[in-house]
Amino acid sequence: MSESSDKDVLTSRTSPGAIATVGDERPSSPTVRPAQRRRPDWRKRLEILLLSGPAIFMFLAFVIFPVVMAAYYGFFRWKGYGAPTDFVGLDNYLIIFKDSAFHEALMHNGFILVMSLVLQGPAAVALALLLNQNMRGRSLVRVLIFVPYVISEVIVGTGWSLMLQTNGAVNGMLVKMGLPGWTVDWLSDPKVAIWSLMVIITWKYVGFAVILFLAGLQSIPTELFEASAIDGATYWKTQRYITLPLLGPTIRIWAFLSIIGSLQLFDLVYIVWGQYVASTAGTSTMATYMVTNGRMAGNYGFGNAVAVVLFFISLAIALVYQRFVLRRDTEGALTEGKK
Amino acid sequence: MKLRKILAISAAMAVGAGALGACGGDDSGSGSDDSSMTFWHNSTTGEGKAYWESTVADFEAANPGVTISIQAIQNEDMDGKLQTALNSGDAPDIFMARGGGKLADVVEAGQVKDISDAIDDTTRAALGDAALNAFSVDGKIYGMPTAILPGGVYYSQDLFDQAGITAAPTTMDELDTAVSALKTAGISPVALGGKDAWPAAHWYYFFALRECSQQTIEDAAKSKSFDDPCWLAAGEDLQAFADTEPFNDGFLTTTAQQGAGSSAGLIANHLAGMELMGAWNPGVIASLTPDEKPLADLAWFPFPAVDGGDGDPGAMMGGVDGFSCSVDAPDACTDFLNFFMQKEYQEGYANAFHTLPASKDAQGVVSEPALQSILTAYNEAPYVTVWMDTLFGQNVGNALNSGVVDLLAGKGDPAGIVQAVADAAAKG
Repeated sequence: MSESSDKDVLTSRTSPGAIATVGDERPSSPTVRPAQRRRPDWRKRLEILLLSGPAIFMFLAFVIFPVVMAAYYGFFRWKGYGAPTDFVGLDNYLIIFKDSAFHEALMHNGFILVMSLVLQGPAAVALALLLNQNMRGRSLVRVLIFVPYVISEVIVGTGWSLMLQTNGAVNGMLVKMGLPGWTVDWLSDPKVAIWSLMVIITWKYVGFAVILFLAGLQSIPTELFEASAIDGATYWKTQRYITLPLLGPTIRIWAFLSIIGSLQLFDLVYIVWGQYVASTAGTSTMATYMVTNGRMAGNYGFGNAVAVVLFFISLAIALVYQRFVLRRDTEGALTEGKK
Repeated sequence: MKLRKILAISAAMAVGAGALGACGGDDSGSGSDDSSMTFWHNSTTGEGKAYWESTVADFEAANPGVTISIQAIQNEDMDGKLQTALNSGDAPDIFMARGGGKLADVVEAGQVKDISDAIDDTTRAALGDAALNAFSVDGKIYGMPTAILPGGVYYSQDLFDQAGITAAPTTMDELDTAVSALKTAGISPVALGGKDAWPAAHWYYFFALRECSQQTIEDAAKSKSFDDPCWLAAGEDLQAFADTEPFNDGFLTTTAQQGAGSSAGLIANHLAGMELMGAWNPGVIASLTPDEKPLADLAWFPFPAVDGGDGDPGAMMGGVDGFSCSVDAPDACTDFLNFFMQKEYQEGYANAFHTLPASKDAQGVVSEPALQSILTAYNEAPYVTVWMDTLFGQNVGNALNSGVVDLLAGKGDPAGIVQAVADAAAKG
């Protein structure tokens, strides 16, 4: 979504400039009359307005407006009935920053963010390299790896929670395999639960990374591999000095999507651990904290304040990432446009 | 040419948008019309759904010109949808309510009708004060109770016999003995749906009911503060009980009502001895037995007495289901409430929902043994309080849910429960 809108911005920025240079270069041409130039301009604006208007309206009404309203409600102690009246200023925010449950949730988000990158990144690159080879059953393996990503979160969560229950399939299998000592409370032991969550997340989302990386690999010119082969580079050297650097932009975009996903993680945790047990099991996230203390408690003012905090944390991380990591990718794109 | 096309398209879009708007308008108009009402209840399947359909049909036949359109809404979606509808000014005329702090919030926002003077005398007499009190806020009545759902311990008589337990426990000591007897017999003593949290919180509520006097509970409902030492004592009782490890393996990830692995499912399939629940439980268990028939050996005993507690050992706690009218609902709304409280409709309600009707006139129809013992205990109880999460409101109830789950998981302590209530009060 964000990618495509960036592209729109780029094209709309470059195209008027291109028209202007074309006009400047041919001042002597008698066929270009000012009146003709203005009319298409006016019609173009109408067209832009007409075509983008509904989208802009929807964006303002269903994204920007709710964000503004959440910020407004966050200043009130409000039960969700009628208009908010009990203005409490920044009290809600003070409570959030002092609440140890929120600190824990934030820590869990940080852990999930880092571990998602660490677990999924190398695994996905390895799988993508493997699946880029010519081998039997390649399409089948590709489909199998991508299937978990397509299955809805609710089904994934329900399935895994049934398997990982104390009396579930995983422990049952361990006992049948003669390893009763290995059985663990996968979901309710606080030492284990977050790792169970990481397994589920990795299983679910690694396919998405693999597909992205495979697409990135297709865009690397084969001439480079041929040249390196002629120069006598080994397979590993080729991957290290050609594939990985040229896959960089794709990896950076994937990492960005993964980070945003980790910060806003809600559905899997909510399905597997239910409405209340997540914080006990040590898998609560900022989003589950928001739902438990906002919606479930009926404290809608407080919940909105949590939403605002979540929004700013995500925004800050996204901006920092764009500024320091993604900048070289976008810069490259811009110079290309100027040529 | 192109411009004309664009204009034509935009005109068409404008007309389309207008039409959409008009559709929306039609829907919202129904609230103010005197002859037609909307009705939200939570029985989306089976006998309960059929009961409301036939009752509404009878009411419409008896009151020509009045129409009621029914919307059955999944129970878990009800609160959220109702809140949105009330805020949007497009509230259903008749909607399900459960009294207590939640109803008080709606009353405070001025969105529900005061029906104190509209209840007819027969209904009032048949209900008695206890049921009506559940829907009273500051002495005015805002809802019509249809069912009473007191809580207590459901158990399997066969499993108790197998473990050699001869009489239902009446004190905590006897309960502890029963727990160890069941364990010795290789049976999970107590099923608990900890994933849903509220079944775990019920254990704390009942210890508090035994530890705290009626006055203390009522005061706490107003002050939202758990300063009285009895609240801490209740947590200590629960901790002591939990230390005997009475609950089924993996109770923290067990749900209450969904499927054979849920706590109700464990009872239904003779995999656990007992479960602390409300009076809806026989119906839930019946739907989870292998043949989907009521469990033949299901029996019930009241929550045991606690040594040295200030609460009466006979006191009961339970929910009251009922219906309220929105503040803008026509007078026909209260007519409907009175209509379905007549004896024959309350008897039909009890049969359809396998539960206890609020009207005492209709309670003769109750035949299931577990429900009969509840009814006896209920009618002998010196006082009845509503579920404490209902009593204290959503915010405190929610905090108690988390606090009790933490305690049972070994992550918190009795003082943590009291602290959780104080923390929650700061947020709302």
